[in-house]
Amino acid sequence: MNKISLEHITHRYGDNKVLEDFSFSFEEAKTTCMIGPSGCGKTSILRLISGLEAPQKGIIKINETVATENEKILIRPHKRKIGFVFQDLALWPHFTVFRNIAFGLKGRKTEKVSHQVTQILNLFGIADKAKKYPHQLSGGQKQMVAIARSLVHQPEIFLMDEPLANIDVKVKENILAHIKLLQQEFRFTMLYVTHDHQEAMQTGDKILVMNEGVIEAAGTKKEIENSSNHFVRSFIKL
Amino acid sequence: MGGRVNQQLARYVPALLLALLLLGPILALLVRWLSSSDDIPLLAFINAGTLLLVGKSLLLSCIVAVLASLMGTICGFLLYRLKFPFRGFYKILLLLPLLVPPYIFAVAWKDGFQWLFSNSTVINPELGMIIVHTLVLFPLAMLITGTALSQIHSGLEEAGLMRVSFRKMLVKIVLPLIRPALTISFLLILIISLSDFSVPAFFGVNNFTTEIFTQFSAFYNHQLAISQSFLLVILCLILLLSENRYLSDAPFFSVHVKGSSTKHYSVHKGKTILHILLWILLLVVLVLPLVMLLHQALSGREILFSRAWELLSPTIYQSAKLAFLGALLISAIGFWVAFMKERSHFPHLNTMLLLTFIIPSTVLGVAVIKFYNHPSTNFIYTSILILLITYVSRFGFIAARIIGNGIKQVPVSLDEVSRVIGIPPIKRFFSISIPLLLPAIFTAFVLSFVLCLGELGTTIMIYPPGTELMPVKIFTIGANAPLALTSSMTLISFGVTMIFILLFFLMGKLIFKRFRYE
Repeated sequence: MNKISLEHITHRYGDNKVLEDFSFSFEEAKTTCMIGPSGCGKTSILRLISGLEAPQKGIIKINETVATENEKILIRPHKRKIGFVFQDLALWPHFTVFRNIAFGLKGRKTEKVSHQVTQILNLFGIADKAKKYPHQLSGGQKQMVAIARSLVHQPEIFLMDEPLANIDVKVKENILAHIKLLQQEFRFTMLYVTHDHQEAMQTGDKILVMNEGVIEAAGTKKEIENSSNHFVRSFIKL
Repeated sequence: MGGRVNQQLARYVPALLLALLLLGPILALLVRWLSSSDDIPLLAFINAGTLLLVGKSLLLSCIVAVLASLMGTICGFLLYRLKFPFRGFYKILLLLPLLVPPYIFAVAWKDGFQWLFSNSTVINPELGMIIVHTLVLFPLAMLITGTALSQIHSGLEEAGLMRVSFRKMLVKIVLPLIRPALTISFLLILIISLSDFSVPAFFGVNNFTTEIFTQFSAFYNHQLAISQSFLLVILCLILLLSENRYLSDAPFFSVHVKGSSTKHYSVHKGKTILHILLWILLLVVLVLPLVMLLHQALSGREILFSRAWELLSPTIYQSAKLAFLGALLISAIGFWVAFMKERSHFPHLNTMLLLTFIIPSTVLGVAVIKFYNHPSTNFIYTSILILLITYVSRFGFIAARIIGNGIKQVPVSLDEVSRVIGIPPIKRFFSISIPLLLPAIFTAFVLSFVLCLGELGTTIMIYPPGTELMPVKIFTIGANAPLALTSSMTLISFGVTMIFILLFFLMGKLIFKRFRYE
């Protein structure tokens, strides 16, 4: 079953056309990795799905419901049950780790919030950092907090915009293993943007290779490896 | 659909109201000027004398802008890019003249000339104005270029040093990188100097602002004053249009400067010379004016000092109250305007504040009087509202720029992530935006406070009945009183300003410590 459908999306920033008649469907509870050179439209797709931006043309459906139609956002970002980890992580610098995670859990009982936050902190092994501020954490710890903050809301869709760039391989593998475990447990649909084709091959159930706003190839790891597309072969150095 | 309409209304109605209050007087002045030519040719006032006055005002302000920018850039480099002891101490002390009303320095230097030559007129008034404006305004250039210098990534300089000498790297790499900052500091100083009334008035310089004041308030020649005002407005508009791109997006001084990637050069051999130079500068900029003021004030016997206190004390509370209200209003409007520009892509309000900022003080005074002196707006004209509106017109742009710079440095994703999570806009505003921008808002508030406290050019023309303000009192008393009395009053005014600055400094330390995130 398709969780998210993008139909004939055209999106531009000023004169710069980012996506051109783009259509694709993301399967439920699967991980789709999007790879491609800078400016090919990967981040734009995440922003369109999250509802932070609207395309000039096209329809975005979430759970078969139209969420965005042309320039109209019909379902607001927070109603889409989405977790979004930004490239710069966007941790609020004036909140502690605990508050960063608890902030969205409004209107619920304090003990319940505290329990939820502690649980997710334990899950990522950063419970001892609860009272620290983001600037007191290492790069890997910050990434863990950003991911934990998005997952604490139990999203159905989890968007990650190159959050693991610039960290060492061991930490990266550790975080990805955590996310995989959580995905198996909560069955969320994950869209993972990366520059690193090896990471994409390891992480994705499906891989989407993009270039200049269009899909060059899409399929499983094997299908991509067997692709005859010249761009795909040169980009992932087959 | 309804929500969208409400959103548009919430955006445009306050914007239109603000435009009416601030821009209305200037547009009305333009209409009055254009429609007043029944018997007088429209451009009759543009004669050789007027053009000479324009040229003189421009020349004086240009000299000030060049000297202050040069001094400020050198100090900016020394204090922001060199590594030596007591750097912070020099920085704070050299910034003080910017926070003290310029007329205080004008009185001090006039006293100094009197003291040195037993005659204050021995020095050319124009030279006096250039000296005081340069010494008061160079910290602005220091702050702007210092901020720009702090934002240059060390890699850019190090890559240059691999190939060329330090001096060449400075000229070929650093200077071009800070060119927008140099331009904006030159323009800002030019506009502020052109617009200032207090220093030329205290020195008796006949320039455009003082001439407009004389024509309007002394000779009641409103028509001539309006025409001259418009010449000056046109002049400022030409400046604005020609350099708009620099003023609208150029770097401004920032309270969020992250200098972690900036290269700081160690001083080895020249450390002593550097300290001596900075002490000489401090002496000229701060210590000497204070000593001159003290000497002149005390020379008038104790009785004059107590008379000065008697005259000035009733104005202190009123001035502080008005400056506080003004600063509060300016910061709030500055925040709103900056937010609209940076986050809602609605830059028109910022452009409007820029326009009112470049209008010289006495011109604004004429415009405001002509616009609000009307039965329907009498409640504004006869109350402190007229002063508050004027303060926003004069200083709103500076506050908006400081806060805007702060907003630029807060990543949009911090707001977006809270939108995805579902934090309501009001909570988002108070929990995310305000705490992150508090240092910038506080800086804008303090600067607005001291600017309002020392504003003279417009205030002297429009202050409502029953209002007594420090600078106005000193200026009006000073016209006919012995120099010692004026000096004593100025010294008290300086003391009051310093107490406020100290209070704000202590408050600022607390705020910056609590709300600064590295």
